[in-house]
Amino acid sequence: MEIERVKAKVLEGRPGFPLQYGPQRADHQPGIPFWPQEATRDFVVISILVAIMFFLSAYVTPLLGPARSPQLSELIVPDWYLLFSWGLLKIADIFPQFVIGDGTPLETRFDAAFWGDILSGIPVIFLLLLPFLDRGREARPAKAPFRSALGISFLIVWIFFASLYSIREVVAERWQTPDIDPGPLSTATALIPDDTMKLFFIVPPVLVFFGSYVALRRLGYQHMRRWLVPLCSLGAIGVAAHSLAILLVPGWLTPLAEPYRLELVVFLAILSLSSILAALAVLRLPETKARKAVLLVGAVALAAFLGGFLYLDRTNPTGLLFILAVLYPNMNTLLFLPPFVIVTAWLGLRRPYSSYEFLLNECYQCGKCHTVCPVTKVEDDALGGLNLVYNTFKKQHDGVPLWTCLACDACSAVCPLDIKYSDYILEERAKSQGRLAADGGKEA
Amino acid sequence: METEYGPGRTIPHPVLFRLLDAEADDTTIPEIKVEHPSEYAYYPGCIDYYDQEMQFSHMNYGDTNHGIIFDSSIKLLRAVGIEPMILDRSFMKCCGHDQLWQGKVDVFKKMRDYNTTIIQKLGVKTLVTSCAEGYRTFRLDYKLPGVRVVHITQILYERGLRIPPQGDGGKKIRVAYQDPCRSCRQMPVGAVYEEPRELIKRVDTAELVELKTFRADAQCCGVAQMMYCNDKTKGITAKRMDEATEVGADYLLTACPKCLTHFGCLHHENKWKPGGERYAYRVMDITQFLAERLPGDYPTGGNVDLRRKETPAPGRRG
Repeated sequence: MEIERVKAKVLEGRPGFPLQYGPQRADHQPGIPFWPQEATRDFVVISILVAIMFFLSAYVTPLLGPARSPQLSELIVPDWYLLFSWGLLKIADIFPQFVIGDGTPLETRFDAAFWGDILSGIPVIFLLLLPFLDRGREARPAKAPFRSALGISFLIVWIFFASLYSIREVVAERWQTPDIDPGPLSTATALIPDDTMKLFFIVPPVLVFFGSYVALRRLGYQHMRRWLVPLCSLGAIGVAAHSLAILLVPGWLTPLAEPYRLELVVFLAILSLSSILAALAVLRLPETKARKAVLLVGAVALAAFLGGFLYLDRTNPTGLLFILAVLYPNMNTLLFLPPFVIVTAWLGLRRPYSSYEFLLNECYQCGKCHTVCPVTKVEDDALGGLNLVYNTFKKQHDGVPLWTCLACDACSAVCPLDIKYSDYILEERAKSQGRLAADGGKEA
Repeated sequence: METEYGPGRTIPHPVLFRLLDAEADDTTIPEIKVEHPSEYAYYPGCIDYYDQEMQFSHMNYGDTNHGIIFDSSIKLLRAVGIEPMILDRSFMKCCGHDQLWQGKVDVFKKMRDYNTTIIQKLGVKTLVTSCAEGYRTFRLDYKLPGVRVVHITQILYERGLRIPPQGDGGKKIRVAYQDPCRSCRQMPVGAVYEEPRELIKRVDTAELVELKTFRADAQCCGVAQMMYCNDKTKGITAKRMDEATEVGADYLLTACPKCLTHFGCLHHENKWKPGGERYAYRVMDITQFLAERLPGDYPTGGNVDLRRKETPAPGRRG
């Protein structure tokens, strides 16, 4: 058998370790080839699936019911997994529609159907472009933050809101502003107007992209401050500008809400101040303090916001309704951005308690480091099991691997994942000395 | 303290390191007198201290001379037209490398802050070190904005050091170079691989030979950051020196005083073995090798302890 042959080859010499290492090694370990083994297996599986589908369609025909008709003004929706495409077709009329070469054989119509087709093709185009956009070889999300954030924001958030847009009639009917006019005619309007739902195609995916990017970069333990500063500052400025526009630009504040200007100012101040304070904390404070400050600001703002709601609900329910009628249509920045600024700042300022434990977790125990480690060549128990890197990694050390290491970095030179073992040694030794120190290593 | 190997085998000497730690606590800046104010500064580091420490630890009765690194460096720097400002230990502290790698981060930080203050006060633009550990520490572990930290081989290569012809066209001397881990594979930027080799090639009577493992794969000299000296570490040193024997080297050069210490120690020990000399080559720092090939005397007339010229007693222990 192939696997026996491979095992016999790999296990020669020292247990578990090949004799040779480096790019020129001859004991290359072959896997299972794609052709014919893998291909045969896939073909069999596909054949079975196709057979099942034929069987079901022939004998267990599903009852589809009568076809729906747009003339009956029913809401027509496709199956759930095609909702996004339906949503994209619905939004396609925002694009300019024109005809090129009208009346000629080369007539081309750039109408809503055309744009809808193009939009539906965007996920496919995006998938085709992805390998060219991010050419890193890393597969784990924390190591490929751009690709992963794009994927999360685009494939998940964008498609979710596209699906939501496809049932815009349901949304408009289900969630409505309260009917506050005492007159007989209903003044209730959609809580999320159509324009806002169109903006959902742009705003949440962009925000989620930045948020995921920040969080993933942070997971990879890279410096985040220079990304956080413009992000949070722009968010804060946006919220403040929007609040001022509502208050100062004539026509933005509905006449019915005019008497409640003071209460409205309080709510706008809570929202604006929270994002401004979070941005200032990112700008001015040291990292650990900034994190606490951002958390505090977020909690206080949330409490103040909800408290204000409850207070108004008790004392002046009508006023609350008018304020809501102002706030809700402006929810793009006013309700989205402050929590976004706070969550982004909080995630981005997260301080890993031990980065090298995380880095060592990348180790897949290929054993190259053990093969080149000079210490194991001379230690008595080298053949018995003293593997500096592995024993430290598994915390199976009584201080011997940690303090026997020469920090010569021969292991890092051959590490296929570029784990800097000497940096880990530095950190662990500092911790060890810190535990011995009188102040518990706080000063260092 | 009677250890298994005798007191001489315990380095770093605990008293010396206590002294260094105590010295780090005193952060008052003394009066600074520099002979030649210049934007080029040379930091000799602890090489002048090593001779004392080796004596103190009863380690070095051989011909290893650390002080000569200082003299050679000044001579070489003058040869390329640099009159450096010498940052000596009268007002500088240790760079803190050993303390950092022994885990004493608090001591290291004191030393770092003190040294950074003085370097910035003196207006240093280019900081030259002659040791690999100092190079790594100043370049990676310090934050010195506006200061270019170079290893001496880099600046000698960059300024075009010329070694005059050495005369006879006879047999070439075979020179091997040990890559110190600190200046080579531990440096993500500015690893010093080519410069020492190029400088060795400029000596017309020298022939550069590579050891069995070299550049990023170079084997460790055996003792980093002065942690231990025992039979295990000596085994590693012996392996490395055996590699030089295998390629038939006449000189084993290094750019790190600690490599030099331990090579020199083992070299001396094996001289006095009953079977004769095991390592038939000289061990020295690359600056000494190059400076010996330049005309003229050393700046201070040679930093050689007269007592060393006497033959050391065979197998003497501390």
